[in-house]
Amino acid sequence: MRLRRTMLYLPGNNPNMLLRGHLFAPDGLILDLEDAVAVREKDAARILIRDVLKRGEFGSCEVTVRINGLDTEYWRKDIETLVPLGRLDGVRAPKVDDAATVKQLDEALSEIEEKAGLEVGKTKIFCLLETARGIFNTYDIATASPRVTAVIPGGEDLTADLRTNRSPEGTELEGIRKSVIVAARAAGVDALDTVFPRITDDEGLKRETEFIKQLGFDGKSVIHPNQIPIIHEVFTPTEKEIERARKIVAAAKEAAERGLGAVQVDGRMVDAPVVKRALFTLTRAGLLEEGTDNA
Amino acid sequence: MKTAQAGTVESMDCLVTVSETDPGTGIALTLAGASVARFSKAMDKAVRETLGQLEIKDLTITVQDNGALDLVLKARVEAAVTRLKGGDEA
Repeated sequence: MRLRRTMLYLPGNNPNMLLRGHLFAPDGLILDLEDAVAVREKDAARILIRDVLKRGEFGSCEVTVRINGLDTEYWRKDIETLVPLGRLDGVRAPKVDDAATVKQLDEALSEIEEKAGLEVGKTKIFCLLETARGIFNTYDIATASPRVTAVIPGGEDLTADLRTNRSPEGTELEGIRKSVIVAARAAGVDALDTVFPRITDDEGLKRETEFIKQLGFDGKSVIHPNQIPIIHEVFTPTEKEIERARKIVAAAKEAAERGLGAVQVDGRMVDAPVVKRALFTLTRAGLLEEGTDNA
Repeated sequence: MKTAQAGTVESMDCLVTVSETDPGTGIALTLAGASVARFSKAMDKAVRETLGQLEIKDLTITVQDNGALDLVLKARVEAAVTRLKGGDEA
């Protein structure tokens, strides 16, 4: 599994941010060709992102591009220009409303990967759900292609579509976040939360991150580098949690060696789901290699 | 005379302005900005290389630089030339 606690949006026509974004050490980067780029600058941003991808210096970040919506004339050129370079881990598709949109993108990606001699299926899809229809169809969207690796509820666009607006308490998104989590887990993909728009409100960001972590989210999109350490701290397990996870993993290992199904740790039964969660805790703490098969 | 631009004067970027010239006049390049004194040779090379790849032989081109790396300069030259040639489909 790959950590996606933070994925940082970088404006696609801004060389300063595109070249330095990884230095803030988010888990992932989103080179943005959509909302952060004015219509008349789409061409220049696409060329710039292409050349930044060719240079390929992104530290250990997962590298994605937010392409333009499949309802625009730009998206195909976005992927035709960038995917053949082989450097992208995934594309983030805006305003995904239904499974058909995912399938259309999946087919276009397969065609491009095949032509470029890349492994077909290499480019993952991150789906932004920015309409009520998108939220309603979350499970179908998440299972529409094996490329889908995460679903992300929208913020502003979504609340507008719901005929409400974003409040500091996030009341309007509460039910949506809960339903997205269930659909994401049922489909076996990550659930990543929307951005926190008030970039100077550190306390508010911390509160919201604690809330979405408790719901089960894997991480959050980020619009300012200052938000990264705050979110990472919330998602990083405490010493106590790490100690307990270590005990559980050690006990499970011992049980397996002795041919036992379940054991006790501190008076609590440890079975497969508990071990899985403990391994996940150690991964989040950076004590297990990312990509370790602990599912 | 047809003119096109790409880029900005923000930090680590450059603003490239290109204009068509008569065939046979060659490349007329002007570099401006704080780092030109130190890096004019490298910048000159990057611009001419990019124009060569785009098969452009005659052009007036001005670069207002604000600390752009080679790859940014090249990307901006390509974007400006593409716009000039009318291949700007965005």
